[in-house]
Amino acid sequence: MTRRTVLQTAAIIAAGVVLALVANAFAPRERKLAMAGSYPSALKVPARETTPMGSIPPTRIAQMPIVPMTSTAPVTATTATQPTATAAITTVGLNPAAKTPAAPATTTAAPVPHPPLPTPPSADRFLPHPDKPFVEITFADVSSLHAKNVLFLDARRTSVYEQGHIAGARPYSVWESDIDDKVRKLFDERSDPSAQALPIVIYCSGGDCEDSHMLAQKLWGIQFNNIYVYKDGFPDWQQHGAPVHTGANP
Amino acid sequence: MKRLLAHPWLTIRVQIALGAIFIIAALPKIADPPSFAHMIYNYRLVPSPLINISALVMPWVELLAGLALILGAWKAAARTVVAIMLAVFIVAISINFFRDNAIDCGCFNVADRGKTHEQRIFDMKVDVFRDLGMLLMVGQLWYAGKREEDEA
Repeated sequence: MTRRTVLQTAAIIAAGVVLALVANAFAPRERKLAMAGSYPSALKVPARETTPMGSIPPTRIAQMPIVPMTSTAPVTATTATQPTATAAITTVGLNPAAKTPAAPATTTAAPVPHPPLPTPPSADRFLPHPDKPFVEITFADVSSLHAKNVLFLDARRTSVYEQGHIAGARPYSVWESDIDDKVRKLFDERSDPSAQALPIVIYCSGGDCEDSHMLAQKLWGIQFNNIYVYKDGFPDWQQHGAPVHTGANP
Repeated sequence: MKRLLAHPWLTIRVQIALGAIFIIAALPKIADPPSFAHMIYNYRLVPSPLINISALVMPWVELLAGLALILGAWKAAARTVVAIMLAVFIVAISINFFRDNAIDCGCFNVADRGKTHEQRIFDMKVDVFRDLGMLLMVGQLWYAGKREEDEA
């Protein structure tokens, strides 16, 4: 390879970097990327389930008894190695002091009007679980939490969210550049420890999708300790004929 | 045979085909970097802080290399870039194939197509063979370029 070829190769790569930075700077919010991503388990291959739900015929799923709540440890590698709370706080860019309930992350921020909080569910179910970032639940539990007006977060891409989402769910895609702002906003809304112990349901598209698990880890790292992942996700919700909204609003 | 392999008629067509493939592959990734970042994440090979920057830069390098091949400018550099990228893709897909991590390669489409594990594994084999075929095309360009230099 001649020196000229090396220089030209370097020039192509350098031009690629410049164009990428310029394009990203002018990209709309949902297409923009933060320069340095922080994705837990980026190098860990998830363990495969021995009987994946996708291989079970839908008729059999319908006949399966619904267990009230999956309390076993989640099977994905995302949860196999739980990050420390400090690490997760770093992930979302919040001050570690935020882990102390009395010291919210953004003390200088203007007070945010708090939306009405949902009715707390019954005491014996959906209790906070500070030892693990999330608990996976099935449709029956998801449906009961939805009926109680619990906060639902949609971890899929905003463009997919707009095509249809669980009624009332907010868009929280972990792949979009504004995710840290949204997480901070949620922290501001629920800075009180009692509010952080209220259930939050996160879902994505089911199957191999790990976006909801990633979002759960982000929230767990900043005090939220009652997070549920709807493992079968939006396709399962649709399959049950549960309420769906389309468009950009919850 | 050697003369046929290095014939300008063949070289120009291979150059245009390879360039077009790279441009077509780059466009969906440029249009939707977060989805491509998701694809890169799924490979479980790139450290977390490098995922986004790879998702941003790689498609533009693909596009520029493809354009250079089609326009016939900086041919040696363009085929070097293309060869390096193809080698990286082949290695990355193969590693995931051998560790049974079924992924969408994200080569031409970055949308989640909801495939089963078996479909993805089959597609990964096809992707590796396709990339090996393209690497052969780069080999032809390299050989033709070398003959051209020798004759000059």
